[in-house]
Amino acid sequence: MQTTSTFESVLRGMAITVIILFFMFPIFWIFLMSFQTNETILRVPPSPFFEPTLTNYRSLISGRLEGSTATLEIAFMSNLYNSLFLSVTSVTVGLLLGVPAAYAFARLKFRGSEDIAFTLLSFRFAPPLLVLLPLTIYFQQIGLADTYGGLIWVYQLIVLPLILWIVRGYFEDIPADIEYAYRIAGHGFWATFRKIALPLAGPGIAAAGLLAFIFAWNNFIFALVLASADKQPVTVGALAFITASGINYGQIAAGIMLSIAPTFALALYAQRYLVEGLSLGAVKG
Amino acid sequence: MSLELTDLSKSFKDDTVLDGVSLHVPEGKTLVLFGPSGAGKTVLLRLIAGVIEPDTGQIKISGMDVDGVAPEDRNIGMAFQNFALFPHMDAHANIASPLTAQKQDKSAIQAGVQALAKLLKIDHVLGHKPKELSNGQKQRTALARALAGKPKILLLDDPLRNVDAKLRFEMRLELPRLLSDQNATVVYVTQDYKEAMAFGDEIAVINGGVVQQIGTPEQIYLTPANVEIARLFGDPVINFLDVTPQKDATGVFALISDKRVDLDAGYSHVVGQDCSLGIRPESVLFVPEDHPGAVPVTVEAETPLNEKTVNLCLTARGREIMASRPSGTDGPAIGAAFVTIEAANALLFDKLTGALIEPTDIAVKGKVA
Amino acid sequence: MSDVMLNLDAVDKFYGPIDKGVHAVRNLSMTVTRGEIIALLGSSGCGKTSTLRMVAGFEAVSRGRISIGGREIHTLPPVQRNVAMAFEGYSLYPTVTVRDNIAFALKRGNFSAVDVAAKVDEVAEMLEISAILDKYPSSISGGQQQRASLARALIRDADLYLLDEPMGQLEPQLRTLLRGRIKAYIKERGLTAILVTHDQTEANALADRIAVMEDGELQQFASPEDIKKSPANLFTGTFVGEPPMNVFPARTSISETTVSLRLDGDVELSYPVDAFSAELRTRLTEMGEVVLGVRPYAVQRRETGSPATVVANQWLGDQSHIAANFAAGSLVLVEHDRTQLVEDQQIAVHLEPSDLHIFNPKTGMAISHGARLVG
Repeated sequence: MQTTSTFESVLRGMAITVIILFFMFPIFWIFLMSFQTNETILRVPPSPFFEPTLTNYRSLISGRLEGSTATLEIAFMSNLYNSLFLSVTSVTVGLLLGVPAAYAFARLKFRGSEDIAFTLLSFRFAPPLLVLLPLTIYFQQIGLADTYGGLIWVYQLIVLPLILWIVRGYFEDIPADIEYAYRIAGHGFWATFRKIALPLAGPGIAAAGLLAFIFAWNNFIFALVLASADKQPVTVGALAFITASGINYGQIAAGIMLSIAPTFALALYAQRYLVEGLSLGAVKG
Repeated sequence: MSLELTDLSKSFKDDTVLDGVSLHVPEGKTLVLFGPSGAGKTVLLRLIAGVIEPDTGQIKISGMDVDGVAPEDRNIGMAFQNFALFPHMDAHANIASPLTAQKQDKSAIQAGVQALAKLLKIDHVLGHKPKELSNGQKQRTALARALAGKPKILLLDDPLRNVDAKLRFEMRLELPRLLSDQNATVVYVTQDYKEAMAFGDEIAVINGGVVQQIGTPEQIYLTPANVEIARLFGDPVINFLDVTPQKDATGVFALISDKRVDLDAGYSHVVGQDCSLGIRPESVLFVPEDHPGAVPVTVEAETPLNEKTVNLCLTARGREIMASRPSGTDGPAIGAAFVTIEAANALLFDKLTGALIEPTDIAVKGKVA
Repeated sequence: MSDVMLNLDAVDKFYGPIDKGVHAVRNLSMTVTRGEIIALLGSSGCGKTSTLRMVAGFEAVSRGRISIGGREIHTLPPVQRNVAMAFEGYSLYPTVTVRDNIAFALKRGNFSAVDVAAKVDEVAEMLEISAILDKYPSSISGGQQQRASLARALIRDADLYLLDEPMGQLEPQLRTLLRGRIKAYIKERGLTAILVTHDQTEANALADRIAVMEDGELQQFASPEDIKKSPANLFTGTFVGEPPMNVFPARTSISETTVSLRLDGDVELSYPVDAFSAELRTRLTEMGEVVLGVRPYAVQRRETGSPATVVANQWLGDQSHIAANFAAGSLVLVEHDRTQLVEDQQIAVHLEPSDLHIFNPKTGMAISHGARLVG
């Protein structure tokens, strides 16, 4: 309705402010922390006023953490690179496998298709730790432990069900008549998939890809167990900030800012797709 | 190319949609599939198109069994009820899609699309995406796409359903000519009996997955095989009165509100049997009281209906009868009036089975066409 | 109590900011008398549903006033307006049976259980849904849901009954049957109803007066006969009437003895000068160019007349629709018996002055109906 009173709009504004504060304050505070030294962070009472410093970022990027007692070498940037590589590759592999599979589940309705689709989803139900122990042993036996390939494979557990279920919903939303029309016009099955189904499910595929990227990026436990230092992503690498000589909050905060930056930027960029993808695909699928 | 369907059946789970449908469409002719929604018409078209497979039965195009032939290899054009345009392609690309499939070169495609677009008066919107087109333009684009590949079999699934009344009327006049110019064998699905009568060389009335009657528009309208079909054709709906034909020295007759209405002599074999007398509203005529066979009625309401005026009347027994006449002609006032029934246009149905009862000597019964 | 049941006074509807958003309803004023059935008729997007929803209270009024029974209601919430509405999208409560859905509207009133049952049975019988009263909404067809929704609205005791495309989902045969029954039901009880429809057959059959809308504007508000006989403008003329009115641009020339209307393609219609009133003749001379309209059933086929070529002849059982090429355009005739015209046959047509509608080509407004000046 258009005719809302001023009182109503003021009230609405206040409510939105409260909600934004509630959700955004932690991120905002960490953002401030990343520009402070441990002393200013830990002072009582805390204050948002301080002299900003870039030392945290500088030491992260150079890979040398200046502690109070010693200097620690940390491969933060290579962790960041690992995260990027693992996430991008996993999502690419996930899309290559998941999108055609989703199409098959949406359109072909073969015997047992529902069961298989559900089984794939059920991978998300299992506690990762439970899967990890046997997996570690197998991986060591077949030489996949501590390889990018092995990690990407395991990451499919996270990525694939997500892509499958979101994209499947999108394919199901395309009226079958549109694909029939293209077939009847004289085009084959694969041409119809490429020229009709893929472009029309585009927003869903993009949304699924983005979400999968975020999930892969944020994964911790698989990489913790299966990857050694040189293959670790940032989520695992951040553990190195907790040292025997204490915790350097400023550097952790800077680490957090750097590691959420890519996903945050992606999410902002693709906000519309994400919301659409989640509300359409996930609910209906 | 002719189209021949033999004993087609199709079920989805426990739901039998088509049950032994056999139809034949000779080359270049139009068959209208007519029936209420859920009758199985759309499924039948999809079987012909090859996008779903029949459970049993055979489809022959030009005498060749097309079992296992993919939809893209059947040389078929189809227009869908909801248009099914490709939303991410402009009108031009939509219409061109059968031509690109045939791998025609660019200039040939361009020329083909232009010619059709001009014919269907959509050449000014070829650059528009479907969502920028009006309903009428969408419908024409869908039609152009169906025609573009010069298919030998054309399937049209209620293509005029989702366009407004004015355009529907225009297309009803235009489309039959367009189709005969294409020289294609056409199967046209509709729920609108006027479209069915205007388009069809033959009409197949389909209901509950079964073909109930096949015939020319004239046969279907004048001698509907059963009560249901009689109801489906005609607006307003045909009137039914319960009668028991009787016979005396002068001939066969029925009593309506205790007034004698003469029937065809050929009905003597159903004397004494419970029947439904079907009378089309245009065959119910208002007459003065002293007219022979005048039946008294009460005129309850008068409503205009397109180019007709419809009177709702009640017989002395309280049965509803509708009478229609051309707009602008004189009609009765609300209240008591008298009607006569044109016996020559009356139809007799078996009360129990609903099947049409034919007079034994058809030559006697003079149909007014 | 006044006889005015509903009054809309200069109502505007904007989607988005006032004066900037989409102007869905433009300066609409209309008055509905107690006991009248009104149809809001127009194509999709003409503002008819927005209007109905403003009356019901589901859309805010951007500007103007609405009153029901003399009481201003446009700022009240829907529940306080005492209107009953049947929705295009059915909107039944899925968790209770059709019977309870219909009875729901009565439960809060002062009716005994027996009365409620009797009323539900009555309305259900009228709408042919007696057999499905004990089913749940999810197990019945769209057409049945729509009738249940209609029953729920009609059974209520309200000042005003709002019916949004109440028969859109029904089969054509059922629609014809129910039209008559619904009209009788509303009339017997003296209810006031507003019907929104895009189907002119329905509007003509049900309504006492039709409000034709286009582009958010009221084009004409009159009885079905008046709209047919004297369409206010070219839009109403060609929108209402099936088959639609034939229209041709024409140039006028008036001599001492004849009124001549020249159409494209060298067709000239000449009439004796006294077939047109003097005022109209003056007006036609002033105009020079006009648009001529003639209803399909008024086109007469004669031995001599203007030449036309048959394009199609379609027999529909009780009438024939004939399309012909005429005056560089096309002409549609309706005849009430089966004519044996075939394609390419030459015919001669005659248009009676009393059947002509003449419009201003620039504004589209009607100049004359039946050779008589408007207004």
